[in-house]
Amino acid sequence: MVSLDNFVKPGQKSYIAIGLEGSANKLGVGIIRHKLGDLSQDNRAEVLSNIRDTYITPPGEGFLPRDTARHHRNWVVRLIKNSIKDAGIKPSELDCICFTKGPGMGAPLQSVVIAARTLSQLWNLPLIGVNHCIGHIEMGREITGAWNPVVLYVSGGNTQVIAYSNQRYRIFGETLDIAIGNCLDRFARTLKIPNDPSPGYNIEQLAKKGSKYIELPYTVKGMDLSMSGILAYIDQLANDLFNKNYSNKFVFNKETKEPNFTIEDLCFSLQETLFAMLVEITERAMAHVNTTQVLIVGGVGCNERLQKMMELMVLDRNGSIYATDERFCIDNGIMIAHAGLLEYRMGQKFEFKDTVCTQKFRTDEVLVRWRD
Amino acid sequence: MSTPSAIYSNPSTTKHFTINKTDKHTTNGKTTGPSQFVLDAGIIDKDQPSTPNQTYLGDLRSQVTTLQDDLNEFLTERMQRENSIGKEEEWEKTLLDGGE
Repeated sequence: MVSLDNFVKPGQKSYIAIGLEGSANKLGVGIIRHKLGDLSQDNRAEVLSNIRDTYITPPGEGFLPRDTARHHRNWVVRLIKNSIKDAGIKPSELDCICFTKGPGMGAPLQSVVIAARTLSQLWNLPLIGVNHCIGHIEMGREITGAWNPVVLYVSGGNTQVIAYSNQRYRIFGETLDIAIGNCLDRFARTLKIPNDPSPGYNIEQLAKKGSKYIELPYTVKGMDLSMSGILAYIDQLANDLFNKNYSNKFVFNKETKEPNFTIEDLCFSLQETLFAMLVEITERAMAHVNTTQVLIVGGVGCNERLQKMMELMVLDRNGSIYATDERFCIDNGIMIAHAGLLEYRMGQKFEFKDTVCTQKFRTDEVLVRWRD
Repeated sequence: MSTPSAIYSNPSTTKHFTINKTDKHTTNGKTTGPSQFVLDAGIIDKDQPSTPNQTYLGDLRSQVTTLQDDLNEFLTERMQRENSIGKEEEWEKTLLDGGE
């Protein structure tokens, strides 16, 4: 059994860490407390504050690195102040400052790293660089109590099926091109639906009103999947529908010129197809590692339809499904604080020159010292 | 209190950037606003920097914004000049060598 307290200071009763997250369009700041001892159902991590501000663009537009970075730069100090106030602590009570090292968009990551480095010098605290994916996994495990699950990590920038083995979170399957959240976001842009609160959420609401399933390409490749072709295909259908391209007999009835389906049907079909692909590779990973637990993390993990479809498969295998709500699913600072604090408790140290960010940082590069 | 300064140097040139304390500085920089692309898309800018308070750190924020503006303008102008030199060379090459 790994001990998390080999580096505890004399007289210390708990650890407190602040986490800064800004790898995409959400800027999150969270403060967490761990009591001494191993984390368990009787010794849970305590969320002292968890706040977030999202950079929202007009309908039909994605978020650009430069403007997203500007959002983070201009909000980070205000968020940190509010977070400290919410937590009711003084900066001197913190043990370390955790920041997202990667993966993510370069410019937004840099803005947050600079804020973390400044705080580290101002408050004389050590810095811990955290892998964003590990943050999602560890926070998901902590919140749900899933001990050794197959993890489905689905977000705007990542789509991975992960399982733990020998101190690494190993990637069993992943997307070969775009991430699932990116596929949904880009379809939302084609439909020009609002990005507030998030494009994926608005697609989910439209999909609830759809009932007719339109067959789309189904592109599972072994344990991996591909989504760019599905997006190109459904984009074409939506554009033909918008532009009243009556020559497309698949979209419009030949005689009446009435559309054969609605935008809601397209959203419904896109979700059903993509989620079925995810369920298939997750089921195969469960069989490989012989586990009955599935944990869904990442922004797309909030989608109730995905949770439901996964649940049907997991129940068939007599297993359990674990998912969190938007506070912990969508990018947040608390997961960075939590994963960073686990690293800190294992004695991990970063030289100041190494406290930089990187756009490419795979989940399996991290040595998970805090697990057996 | 001292003011921030910056130095840009490359093999052919060195330039010092300093702040004139008597000038008025703000946190709303000329070059640190939203990009033209999002302005054209009709964004309402909710992400402006907060106004500086009347402390040393508040002054420093404004002065750094001015310094950043000066640097950005200098570098943009430099890049544009280099681009136009590149274009002239390309045009000359097209004229003399038929673009080969």
